Amino acid sequence: MTREPDESKSRYLKYLEVVTGSLDEKRRYRQYKARIKQLPENYRIAVEALERYLMHFGPVDGAGAMEMYEDLADLFEQSVSDGTPIRDLFGDDPVEFVEAFIQNYPAGQYRARERARFTNAVARAAGEEDGTV
Amino acid sequence: MGRQATEMLKGTLEGIVLAILSTRAAYGYEITAWLREQGFSDIAEGTIYALLVRIEQRGLVDVAKVPSEKGPPRKVYSLNAQGREYLEEFWKTWAFLTERLEQLRQGGDQA
Repeated sequence: MTREPDESKSRYLKYLEVVTGSLDEKRRYRQYKARIKQLPENYRIAVEALERYLMHFGPVDGAGAMEMYEDLADLFEQSVSDGTPIRDLFGDDPVEFVEAFIQNYPAGQYRARERARFTNAVARAAGEEDGTV
Repeated sequence: MGRQATEMLKGTLEGIVLAILSTRAAYGYEITAWLREQGFSDIAEGTIYALLVRIEQRGLVDVAKVPSEKGPPRKVYSLNAQGREYLEEFWKTWAFLTERLEQLRQGGDQA
């Protein structure tokens, strides 16, 4: 049941989403969690550890985050089906893998704001025009 | 593969993958397997996947979903026109870099 964003949403739904956040994103997240549940235990343990890392350092909000979770589920399902060992999947340094992965998605609001603040502060300190966001 | 080789590989991995895809379409697992055969044994499959997601987002490859007998459909990547242009650029940069490094090895740039 795919829905065109916004167009068919009733006013009530729109109001509700102001209060609860995007229902579409919540639905996608639930679907993602259901896919992860289906994985063999050792893969699931690894994904859950990865999720914890993403909660701290990954993009945590918006449609970009949902895309990220869905891409992750694709990877793990494929790896299970190919019989790729956990270590081959994550490599010797799992942090390196996850950081390369995170780069593909828009930074969460917190990170984006702080990056902009830092960049602008340097521009002002360098005496360049416009240091405002 | 030593630490140094791994670090150097990181900067060129994108070009390597695009070069592989310029000869034929492939899915993620095939690319990783090929790299391992060639002695790039330290590369995580996840890292290759992250790279494939990136080049797909940047429109350098076309992606076809091909059903497989077991498991989910495979994403098969092939280089498109934009990807070929990008690869051309990569080889130019590579030629520049190797030429300058060779000069350094030969005892520095006299100019």
